[in-house]
Amino acid sequence: MTAGPDDATTVGPDGEVAGGPGDDAADRRRHVSDYFRLERWELPAPEGDGPASMAGRAPVDAHQRGPGGGLRTGGLLTSLDSLGGFTSGLAVLPQWIVTTSLMATVSELSHVGPLGLRADVLRRGRNSVVTSLDVVDEGAGGRHVAAATLTCAVLDPDAMTLEFERPFALAMPESQVDPVRPEAFFCIESGEGPVTRLRLEDQLRNPWGILHGGAVAMLADEAACRATVAAVPGAGHGVAATDVVLHYLRPVKVGPVEARCSVLGTRAGRTSVRVAIHDVGADDRLVTLGSVTVLAV
Amino acid sequence: MAFAGYPPPEHLLGDLGMEAELTTETTARVRTRVTPQVLSADGGVRAGVLATLVDIVGGAIAARVLRPDWMATADLSIELVGPPVGPWVEARGSVLRRGRTTLVIEALVVAVDEDGDDVAVDGRAPDPVAWASMTFAVLPATNADSPVQLAADLPMRWAFRGGDLELPIMDALPVTVLDAPAGRVSVPVRPYLHNSFGAVQGGVIALIAEAAGAEALGAAQGRHGADMVVTDLQIAYLALGKVGPIVTSARVLATGPDGRAGAVVELRDGGADDRLTTVVNVTAAPADVTTRAVP
Repeated sequence: MTAGPDDATTVGPDGEVAGGPGDDAADRRRHVSDYFRLERWELPAPEGDGPASMAGRAPVDAHQRGPGGGLRTGGLLTSLDSLGGFTSGLAVLPQWIVTTSLMATVSELSHVGPLGLRADVLRRGRNSVVTSLDVVDEGAGGRHVAAATLTCAVLDPDAMTLEFERPFALAMPESQVDPVRPEAFFCIESGEGPVTRLRLEDQLRNPWGILHGGAVAMLADEAACRATVAAVPGAGHGVAATDVVLHYLRPVKVGPVEARCSVLGTRAGRTSVRVAIHDVGADDRLVTLGSVTVLAV
Repeated sequence: MAFAGYPPPEHLLGDLGMEAELTTETTARVRTRVTPQVLSADGGVRAGVLATLVDIVGGAIAARVLRPDWMATADLSIELVGPPVGPWVEARGSVLRRGRTTLVIEALVVAVDEDGDDVAVDGRAPDPVAWASMTFAVLPATNADSPVQLAADLPMRWAFRGGDLELPIMDALPVTVLDAPAGRVSVPVRPYLHNSFGAVQGGVIALIAEAAGAEALGAAQGRHGADMVVTDLQIAYLALGKVGPIVTSARVLATGPDGRAGAVVELRDGGADDRLTTVVNVTAAPADVTTRAVP
């Protein structure tokens, strides 16, 4: 899906394409991977040919903080998907990957920043790659923030050639001159209740033309929080997503995208929300299913 | 009942007395009776027992949908929503997506009565007591390890019959605590705990992770592991545990003000060069927190 030096195209760490035909569109795509300003670098393999590992660092910019005081969980998941997906891809070169599931538990909602991320491939199979992810708050003495497991399916890159300078490194993107809130950036329509809608703008697509997995995670976060506020008496508006399980079942190609939530129950201050995400414009097919645990903060 | 000799006469699934029914081509339900041997400190069914139930319902669906191919559980997540108290608990599973290499299944766990009807609460249908999802890797029938004869024999309804559990389930495995603060527990690998590949069954893996996580998280708060209630398990199955013993370690992540906390538990096959078999995110809380009426 991406190109090597013989093509007039290069590929970025989330697969964004730049430098070739259609470069204007590519620049817009870059926004998704850069929005949370994730710096990334490859770690040396312990024995020369071991599984891939990467580290990352991301600031916690003021406009990206949620009710918990730290980076919104949807934003955290976007960075986990970006780092874990790229690490998984490096492990299967010259093939590439697509994320199929993400399981994350967030232990700390309040962050000082910057956040330090680490991704390690646990298993590299013929059809799938499993990668563990850890997040700590470097600004809070390395306090633990989140742990996650990302599973990716291995893809045949078809006619494309994937080539990266190794060890791979990407500097932290510049801060935004005119920052926008995550809900606005991810084109999540305002509203309340159990259904939340996202407009599938071009800036949210990856080079495959499908909705970025981080955008799906952000939609799940926002939708589950809105559903909790609407359904749980006394929840108020101070709620935040913590534990998340997402199964990416099918690519989102058309849009708009709708997250339909069912509140399963509330126990000890934590509300469990089932989130079913549909591509309305593609025969309303189910594209992602998961659960989000929402905590009153 | 057994399919091609699985499970053997003395097996945990038989002792749990699970009853299964394929309700359509892509759905199934499996139930088990709630007994004192499967309860955690708050009086609800253990997360690991529910994970076993869910793994069986997913496996039953997968065996039917994928035949003549076979499958192995790749990941499983379960989230307890309310205290599952019975008198029976039933997992109802359905297919979300059937791909070339994977099958994704969702399951809801509900409390049911002797007749299999939902246990009503104040005259209305109750909320589910747990939500679960799992991914199965498809193993082509040409694979020598694929016990395809099991799928061919699969009836629409069956029950695993054994003796009743005479011990608390953690003692029946048995789980030996080696070092509670480090989350180190050990479980021998034996036919009583096998899956159809002769390795530790996926639900048993969940039970071992539950024990290890509870020990580590309890110790971090000056409590006994038995006082902790595991509410969430996120399990990534990486390799089969065939030799044993299965030995765990745990890393406590953080503890909230109400005592709720998370840990990452690793399971290794001690007889196979300590190979990493499973990684599990475990969330638990003291029993007095999980039983608190909120919001």
